[in-house]
Parts: sequence; structure tokens; C-alpha cells
Amino acid sequence: MSDITVREKNKKISQAKRVTLIINGEQRNLEIGHLPHQVETTHTLLHTLRETLGLTGTKLTCDNGACGSCTVLMDGKAILSCMTLTVECGGKDITTIEGLKDRDTGALDPLQQSFIDHTAFQCGFCTPGIIMSAKALLNENSTPTEVQVKEALSGNFCRCISHYQVVRAVMAVSEGGA
Amino acid sequence: MRSFSHLNARTVSEAIAALVQFDGRARLNAGGTELFGALKDEFLPEYPEAVINIKSIKGLEYIKEEKGHLRIGALTKLSVLSESRLLRERYGALAEAAHAVAGPQIRNVATIGGNLCQDVRCCYYRYPRHIGGPINCARKGNGPCLAVNGDNRNHAIFAGRKCFAVCPSDTAVALALYDAQLVVVGPQGERQIAVRDFYTPIENLLQRTEIVREILIPAVTGTVTQSFSKFALRTPIDFAIVSVASLITLEDGICTDARIVLGAVAHNPHRALEAEEFLRGCRLDVEVSRQAGEFAIREAKPLSKNAFKIQIAKTLVSRAIFGQPAGFVLKGNFSETTSSTQMCSGKH
Ligand SMILES: Cc1cc2nc3c(=O)[nH]c(=O)nc-3n(C[C@H](O)[C@H](O)[C@H](O)COP(=O)(O)OP(=O)(O)OC[C@H]3O[C@@H](n4cnc5c(N)ncnc54)[C@H](O)[C@@H]3O)c2cc1C
Ligand code: SF4
Ligand code: FES
Ligand code: FES
Repeated sequence: MSDITVREKNKKISQAKRVTLIINGEQRNLEIGHLPHQVETTHTLLHTLRETLGLTGTKLTCDNGACGSCTVLMDGKAILSCMTLTVECGGKDITTIEGLKDRDTGALDPLQQSFIDHTAFQCGFCTPGIIMSAKALLNENSTPTEVQVKEALSGNFCRCISHYQVVRAVMAVSEGGA
Repeated sequence: MRSFSHLNARTVSEAIAALVQFDGRARLNAGGTELFGALKDEFLPEYPEAVINIKSIKGLEYIKEEKGHLRIGALTKLSVLSESRLLRERYGALAEAAHAVAGPQIRNVATIGGNLCQDVRCCYYRYPRHIGGPINCARKGNGPCLAVNGDNRNHAIFAGRKCFAVCPSDTAVALALYDAQLVVVGPQGERQIAVRDFYTPIENLLQRTEIVREILIPAVTGTVTQSFSKFALRTPIDFAIVSVASLITLEDGICTDARIVLGAVAHNPHRALEAEEFLRGCRLDVEVSRQAGEFAIREAKPLSKNAFKIQIAKTLVSRAIFGQPAGFVLKGNFSETTSSTQMCSGKH
């Protein structure tokens, strides 16, 4: 018997078999394993969203915690899905860019509409992450100042210099906003 | 990422049992913001067999005041620390240091325990396997230090030995200022390690089967002014080039006690003892603060490409003691810190 199997036998805590989480209001019960439809222990939430569930709105860029393009909401707070293991998301409530539209009418969130109205993107790759960071801020503070908007978006990078339009788009939906 | 087993620990003892069971070939995961960078880039000689989630341990997220001490649970998030009113009022340097770490999404999940236990950022050490690495060096127990004759812009200017990588943790700088202790638990029981002693040139003092449970800070008393300022280029992603934390006790404009700690200049948070000694008994003014800056860097021995850090350290120290900080003075509206050097001062 190899070292590893001896250790497996003595294991005190066992590895979970499933993980249940809510994604965009829908409960997902995912099996943990090595088959294509299953979630591996090593899968990041970003990988699961894009590759297992087909929610490709969340973008993969640096995969290393540095750019913010993979930002999603976890229990209302902005987090990086590339640095989060799916198997550790049990019981969490996740919102991605796909989950912002009105569930009944399909209408875009006013924040999304404001990005369109202000052309707050060029290539658009960073946009879902930026919108999710802005959404997290607006959930906590519906009347942020420009300084607070910039602070909340400081972890989101854009290569196309959309920042000016982004700040205007967010300020436009801030209740006290411009 | 290459495969690993995954366990959720429900208690500190379960986490330790799991570390023992894997004989040190397992890694704890708190916020994961440093760990997964390391596992994705595979720059370490050993890849863990298991990742043990410790976020599932209940009751390790707290900030508590207790007889003469402040106790902070190891799983307390940096966002919570930076927004805590108690910290803002009494331990402002720590609140500001927590705020100076990375961007909002990282601070929402990153923990103080993980911040203190993170590995160094040396560009040779962390060079990724998938683009031609990993690179061996003294810290990996294999060969010389490559930074000595290479790119050492971000390396130590004090007390380098074998490895010249600097302690990357921002909160360690503030905690060293307060003489904080780490409460560490392992199979043999519990021990305390001063944050100042925790980092050696080649590693930290944590055994592979130990976990940091809490941080113990002796209460800050008296009329003190404290500050933390960090010089970095792009604050949400860059580590400190130099940071400075200070705690100054003033009586009628005379400095009766001073503590100054420099970050990102050595393998540990570096106490500027000569500057502290010089300041005691001085009336603080521009000239005194300039001289304190000189004393703070007197022992510095820069490498071939990082003498610029001396100038930055000098400036940050004198600004911490007297005069306008380059960034922002903290006056209650804490969310308005945006500039690359941040500073706070609070009196109580
Ligand atoms: C883009 C980017 C920018 C960053 N900028 C900064 C910065 O400016 N300043 C800074 O200080 N850091 C920075 N970091 C590093 C890191 O995100 C932070 O240090 C963070 O606080 C780590 O906390 P964590 O809980 O995510 O740690 P994890 O990644 O979970 O853990 C880090 C290490 O500590 C160990 N560990 C965690 N908790 C414990 C415990 N309780 N007991 C024992 N061992 C433990 C883990 O096993 C692992 O080895 C940055 C990271 C990124 C990706
Ligand atoms: S500074 Fe340390 S980590 Fe970097 S190359 Fe030298 S020995 Fe390795
Ligand atoms: S892809 Fe997650 S931060 Fe860049
Ligand atoms: S719009 Fe292109 S990266 Fe931001």
C-alpha cells in the first residue's frame, strides 16, 4: 500500500461529494469529481461558471487576481472568481453579469443601460467585471461620490481607457449622481 | 491547477490533524488570494497533496478588546479591519495598512492570517513554471541568490543574508509597530511568536503543521499619533516599494516616545531604532523630522539597483513624523483614500 492510500484510510475529514450554491437566483447542485459535467476540487469559480455552466459573461484575463475582469458578487460583495475554489462556495449566493437583468421582463439593469448610454467601453472585455464591482458599491451605497466610485473600481483594469466614461456611467445611476 | 485533495476543516484541531495527516504536504487556504497564485504558477519545488479550507472554521473572525489587549481572529478579513471603527480610532496604522493591501475584491476575502503568512514576491522565486520556470535559488535551497547580481530593485536594503527578498505583508509593518504577537497552534500545543521575530531571511517560523489562530496586540494607551504610509506605483496590484508605520507619543510638543517601522526594506518589518532614539526628547519640527529620516536609513546597505529605496524611506519617515503626508490625512471619512501614499493620524 502506498503512502497516499495509508493516509487516505486514516483520513479524519472526508472530501465533500457535492457542492450546492445559488447562481443568479437558481440553486445549482454540482457533483465533485473528474467527469466532464462534474466540478474538480481544483476548479475555480471562474472555470465552473464559464466551462461547466456556460456562463461566459464573466471574463478570464490574468487568472491571477490582478485585473478584476472575473469579478462576481458573492453574498453581495465583489470578489475575484479566479481566486475562489468552487468547492468552497457551498451555500453562497453568486451573481454574475448574466444575473443583473430583470428576471421577469429581461430588461437590462439600469447600470448596464447606463454603460450603453455612455459608451463606457471600447473592446468591452473588462466591462462585466467593472459593472459587477460598481453594482457591489451601489448595493451598499446608492449615492456614492466620485471618489468612492473610483475607489470601488480601483481593482478593475481596462486596457482601452474607458475609465472616464465608466465613472460617468456609474455616477449617472447614483441617486445623488450627476 | 494540478490536482489536490480538498478538505473543509471545521475546527482548529481538525485543520492541524489534517496537516499532520498529510505530513506537511498540505496547505491551508484562507482567502486564497496568495495561495492560488502560488499553486497556478507552480514555482515551488513541492506541490501540495491537499488544500485545507479554514474558512469553514467558525469563530475565527473577530476584533475584541480585552484586559490590556486587542485580539484579532486570524480569519478576520482585511476589508473588515480597514473599516472597523475601533481600529480607525485606536489602531489607525493597522486599519490603514489593511486598506493599503491590493484592491477591494481582494480585501473582501483576504484574511489577516493569510496576509502575515504569505510567501515572498521575489521575481526569480515566483517565476512561473508554464513560461519557462521554475527558477531555483537560495530560498528554494538550491543555488545562490539570483537577485544579488540581477534585478534587485524590489529587494532588501537592510540586513540581507542569503536571501534578499523582503517581507511583502503590509499588516506586518503595523503589527510590528504595536509589538503584536501571533498565537500559533500546532500538534504540540500553543505558542506565541512576536510579529517582529516571525520572519527570518529564508522563511517564516511557522512549522508545516501549525496554524495561526489569532493576533494579540498590547493596548495602545496615552496620547499618541500613529501613521501608516505606503509608497507603491499602482496601489491595487503593486506591493510596497517602501512603507513606514509610526507611533509617536507627544507631551507639550516634545516627543517622549517614538516607534518607527519600515516595510519592504528587509526580510522582516524593520525597526528604525536609531531614529527612535534620536527623536526621544526632541521638539518636533521640520529639521528634526529630516534628521530622523537620515537616522532611519543610516545602516542601509543597498544592492546594485535599489538605492532609490533609501530616498523614499527617508522621505516617508520624515513625513510620518512631521509635516504633510504626500497622500491623505485621515479625518473620519475613511473611504476617501485613493492616493498612492496613505497616512492617518489619530489622537486619543
Ligand atoms: C494583485 C494582488 C495584489 C496584492 N497586493 C498586496 C499588497 O499590496 N500587500 C500585501 O500585503 N499583500 C498583497 N497581496 C497578497 C495577498 O492577497 C494578501 O497578502 C492577502 O492578505 C492574503 O490573505 P489570504 O487570506 O487570501 O491568504 P491565502 O492565500 O489564503 O494564504 C496565504 C498563505 O498563508 C497561509 N495561511 C493562511 N491563513 C493561515 C493561518 N491562519 N495560519 C497559517 N497559515 C495560513 C496559506 O497556507 C498560504 O500559504 C496581493 C495579491 C494579489 C493577487
Ligand atoms: S532574493 Fe531570495 S527568493 Fe529572490 S532569488 Fe534571492 S534567494 Fe531567491
Ligand atoms: S482574471 Fe481574475 S483578477 Fe484577472
Ligand atoms: S474596454 Fe477594453 S479592456 Fe476595458
